[in-house]
Amino acid sequence: MTDEACWHPDLLRRFVPTPYVFSIGDGPNRLFVESNDLEIALSVRGADVVHRQSSRSGGMLCKLIRDTSSPGDGSELTIVSNGALWVLYLGWGTILIHDRERSELLGFVARNVQIQELVWSLIPAVLGESVQQ
Amino acid sequence: MSLLCIDQTALPYSMELCFAGATCDLRTNSCELASVMEGLSISTGDALSSGFTMRLIVEDSSEEAAGEPHFRGLHHVVTASFGRSNVFVFDILRRTLSAGVSAAVARDDRFWKEKLIPITLGILGSAMGLVPVHCACLELDGDGLLIAGVSGAGKSTLSVALSENGFNYVSDDWTYIARRGDGIVAHGTSAPVKLLPDAVGHFQKLQRRRLQRSMNGELAYEVDIAETFGARVEPACEPRWLIFLERTHRAESTFTPMSSTEARTYVSSSVEKLPRQLYEARAARQQTIERVALLPSWHFRYGGTPQFAAKELREFVVHAGRRSTYDR
Repeated sequence: MTDEACWHPDLLRRFVPTPYVFSIGDGPNRLFVESNDLEIALSVRGADVVHRQSSRSGGMLCKLIRDTSSPGDGSELTIVSNGALWVLYLGWGTILIHDRERSELLGFVARNVQIQELVWSLIPAVLGESVQQ
Repeated sequence: MSLLCIDQTALPYSMELCFAGATCDLRTNSCELASVMEGLSISTGDALSSGFTMRLIVEDSSEEAAGEPHFRGLHHVVTASFGRSNVFVFDILRRTLSAGVSAAVARDDRFWKEKLIPITLGILGSAMGLVPVHCACLELDGDGLLIAGVSGAGKSTLSVALSENGFNYVSDDWTYIARRGDGIVAHGTSAPVKLLPDAVGHFQKLQRRRLQRSMNGELAYEVDIAETFGARVEPACEPRWLIFLERTHRAESTFTPMSSTEARTYVSSSVEKLPRQLYEARAARQQTIERVALLPSWHFRYGGTPQFAAKELREFVVHAGRRSTYDR
């Protein structure tokens, strides 16, 4: 038996399928966007802040899950940083992770978070750019 | 917006700890938390070749108790929050836990003992070759006995009964297994033994103890097995057998051989599926699972008291079990 045969429920939601996949650019500077939500995938694909970061770091992977089972509570923004990892929490339900060394933007977006807030405020904050009001 | 820069905060309290054989390089800004963690550390001669780091910042101004847990994970990162003030970030590839916690959580040794340390070993253990297996572990004359079974099968009560019957106690619920040379080594933690209310009918010593509300909301006796039962506790041992426990309604005991396929299936069911980004950890873990599956294994069906089961199991291990081990 391999790991694939385990029957644990996916409590961490690590294995949510992400059918919306975009690959932008060629060579080492390629930007990959994956999501289970078409609106998120299209918005991140077109976000200047993501393209800038991808160019700076020589390519980037963005994998963002619209987390409908997550609590959409709280408006408090907290960022925890430790070396290469920056993690942004909006309430409990929205969690964005930026691994600067691996050039990966990973995360879960609570159901009540609007695309505009995600692209103009939360992603810039976790990427270390100024937060748009 | 609040910003918690762990790498830019002075963390003057630094110590090397050990949990289930894994060394932990702890740094924190809280003397109180450092003291709590030091009390939970268990030294062992079987330290793993790789360890992990913990960077813990305590916000003295916050008195928020640990709230409802919320876990998420993607690729090599797992996050856990227990309310707004208590956030934990696990980086599996870098074997690091970074966290900000309230002063109330910092001094709550039960939170660290029963929740955070087992969770940390469960998440980061995969990168250190440590496999958490849902089983008890006891030791007799240097030989370890893993006792598996579904929840409610009686692992904890049997563990106590065996510890009153000459066995040394390693763990009663989760055991952390690593490869060592050609064999394996099983580690326990400092977590207390949890016994359900009806256990008082089997163990008089519990009459002096109070039922408590456990972390998962159940009423239970949560006791230090050495203090309550005078058991001898071993931090680690080398497992020789795997017993799969099943309770029946009839007062009897039977042992039937269990195939390595069944054993592998059970152990595999204990572990979290890992993403492909952690392929090395996945492969190393599979090798450990294979070794556990190759242990001589039996189904042990029993009815009656835990003391009866302990006596039967001891007889089996001392006679038939040992003969079978050496015959293989």
